[in-house]
Amino acid sequence: MKAAQFEHHEPSTVDEAVSLLESLDEPTILAGGQSLVPMLRFRLARPETVVDINGIDSLDYLREENGFLTLGALARHADVENSATVADRYGSFADAAPLVADPQIRNRGTVVGSVAQADPKGDWGSVLLAHDGAVVAHGPDGERTIPADDFFLLPYDTTLAEDELATALRVPTPEPREGSAYHKLKRKTGDYAMAGVAARLVFDDDGRIADAGIGMTAVDITNARAKEAEAHLEGERPSPELLEEAGELAAEESNPESDEHGDASYKERMVDVLTQRALADAAERAGVVERRVPQ
Amino acid sequence: MTETREITLTVNGTERTIDAEPRQLLVHAIREDLDLTGTHIGCDTGNCGACTVLVDGEPLKSCLMLAVQADGSEVLTVEGMAELPESAGDLHPIQEGFHEEHGLQCGYCTPGMIVAGKALLDENPDPDEEEIREAISGNLCRCTGYQNIVRSIEYAAEELEARAAADGGTDVASPAESTPDVAGGQDGPAFDCGVENCCGGPSLEADEADQPTDGKTANGHDAARDDGGASR
Repeated sequence: MKAAQFEHHEPSTVDEAVSLLESLDEPTILAGGQSLVPMLRFRLARPETVVDINGIDSLDYLREENGFLTLGALARHADVENSATVADRYGSFADAAPLVADPQIRNRGTVVGSVAQADPKGDWGSVLLAHDGAVVAHGPDGERTIPADDFFLLPYDTTLAEDELATALRVPTPEPREGSAYHKLKRKTGDYAMAGVAARLVFDDDGRIADAGIGMTAVDITNARAKEAEAHLEGERPSPELLEEAGELAAEESNPESDEHGDASYKERMVDVLTQRALADAAERAGVVERRVPQ
Repeated sequence: MTETREITLTVNGTERTIDAEPRQLLVHAIREDLDLTGTHIGCDTGNCGACTVLVDGEPLKSCLMLAVQADGSEVLTVEGMAELPESAGDLHPIQEGFHEEHGLQCGYCTPGMIVAGKALLDENPDPDEEEIREAISGNLCRCTGYQNIVRSIEYAAEELEARAAADGGTDVASPAESTPDVAGGQDGPAFDCGVENCCGGPSLEADEADQPTDGKTANGHDAARDDGGASR
């Protein structure tokens, strides 16, 4: 099926994009288009106007600055996959990037677009939550920063206003003793996650967990934090028992639905396992734990 | 009604201008407006990879991109493979590999596989099996079980390496008449880039006339390249 007709606008600056979003009637923002274009052609989306941000060169970046790793709205999944900075310091990003869709889609799809799409099966929202990250949005009143915890509302629904453009996402640069990881269960390349867990651990000088972040994919109506598991970890030294307890708590906090990939109890069990594995990798990468926790 | 927009693509080295509605997908522009039906539509959903083309050197699914978004880009489709310098006027080594290693049965996925393979070898001339499988992981084949596709790309990697070695290890360039270095010189009837129906090369065989020839000039090949480079 052909997409319904729409007007195609190509702003070259953020300000131009925002004024288009303000003046047009229910515009849809097009970034990588790897979700939106099929939605257009199946007429699941029928916008009258599309604001295509691919010409805004200032949004095409991935860099560390002012204490944050910041990804502009045109940073593609492949840019994360190929970034030496990410490979060195951001384990969860380095894990997640090559697990997104397939190579062609990673060349075109954007990380910020994926987060703004807010598909609960999307990987990046979990990574953002685990890192206490934020979405940077530009609107008619200027820039604001939306913490990841306040960003996701419902499937495909966020706290972004209609006339706001998500221009970047950012996470704090790692502490000296910090590690992170992402584990994803999927049947084959190109599939969304059946379940996924991002974990980030920060250790104090004593080797105790000072801060823990756990984000879960595809097991709730949005990407979700495992807050009780996080709280259970903080102040403790990592041990196989501790990670098992955290895994169980995360599984309890998850709310998966049964579908063709498995029933809810199976997915909860997978959250448990993936949480333990992601935490073990995060601890190892922080340089605190020598060996991986056996499964 | 939304109006069409004039867009210019450098497709397989030739600059082409078409009118596109914003809603038109790149794959439809390639197949219907440019008449290059080697690029296939398999699934309509962005899963199968049969519509894979290179846009500015990157493999993309042309059913997941609007034609207007490719304005000013260089596009390589399977029809352009045999025109590349490393093909030396014959089949590209990847195409040769699919022939030699029986890399296809029904052939539907083949154009996407070949283009995805080309993108891999451009980045990584000596991939191992795992890297090949990863590079074609966005391309579905329902016939071969992938074994022979992997072998076909391995064949091409070896063939390209052998040709590079035969050229003194300087470049994967075509031999003799189509040395790309010459392209820096004067264009004109005397110059022959070795590509069929281009730059004074041999004329297109009737049974291979899959590609429209309108808009081509004697030096269109080079002119298009220069434009494409400048617009990036």
